[in-house]
Amino acid sequence: MPRNPKKHQVSITNANQVINCDANQSILHAAILAGIDYPYVCATGNCGTCVCLLEAGKVSMLAHGDAALTQEQVKAGKTLACRAIPRGDVTIKWLSRGGK
Amino acid sequence: MVTNEARDGACRKLFTDVGKITAKEGITPSALHAMKMKLVALARKTDLFPLSDFEMPVAQGRSHPLLVQENDGYGLYLTINMPGKEAAPHDHGIWCINAAVSGRERNLFYRRVDNGERKGRAVIEKIGEVIVEPESGMAMADHDIHATEVLGKEPAVGLAFYGYALTQFPEVVWYQPQFRSVRASPSRRQLVSA
Repeated sequence: MPRNPKKHQVSITNANQVINCDANQSILHAAILAGIDYPYVCATGNCGTCVCLLEAGKVSMLAHGDAALTQEQVKAGKTLACRAIPRGDVTIKWLSRGGK
Repeated sequence: MVTNEARDGACRKLFTDVGKITAKEGITPSALHAMKMKLVALARKTDLFPLSDFEMPVAQGRSHPLLVQENDGYGLYLTINMPGKEAAPHDHGIWCINAAVSGRERNLFYRRVDNGERKGRAVIEKIGEVIVEPESGMAMADHDIHATEVLGKEPAVGLAFYGYALTQFPEVVWYQPQFRSVRASPSRRQLVSA
């Protein structure tokens, strides 16, 4: 019998919700499937709309464009929800209200 | 050793050639094809585009302006995208042609098949595919929808020629087939003037 895939908990402070995220799933993907009205546009690391503050925890990043997330933003603890794969439980806060 | 003058001259020649094509035909499928062949010919001159002249991406994707006209003129860029870099299906509202200098990038083409009645919702279906690699390119009309993905383990280095400079782009409409959603990023004209 296959084991349940590993999941991490993602706390999204704007939405005041904690959701489950598969170990190979982006935060944005998990949020949308959980019914959260997370702001996004391209969802592939090109536009930067889903930029968020990583308040706690660590993520791995999928490929994205330089213009979507600057090095200054990375140093300030920001990440792209569409490209961020949690490496454990994380807490984030989205910073945009665009993409609607 | 290539000089900036040689590269600039080749880029200006492309603009002149494209201008002649559009003056004669407008932006038609045959004109876009002719423009694509001009861009492929330029991309074939790999000695004009040594990677040592262009910064690699800090992350996985970067565009370097080669020649950009003012106002609503053309924009020509050298793009470097690393393995794994992708873009969801999108319509950037303006025609474009691409040609590869090195590496391989898959372009998938789509059409929208819903009636647009539900705001934020869209259904698209795949209608074609082109692998852009050395000696080849692709052309898109104003509202064609394409998705891209870098293939293999080498960076995809290419020339991207747009009807407008990137800073003059109209809104870009992005589709997410898995969510059946559609979202638009604002025109860069608004961002520049804000």
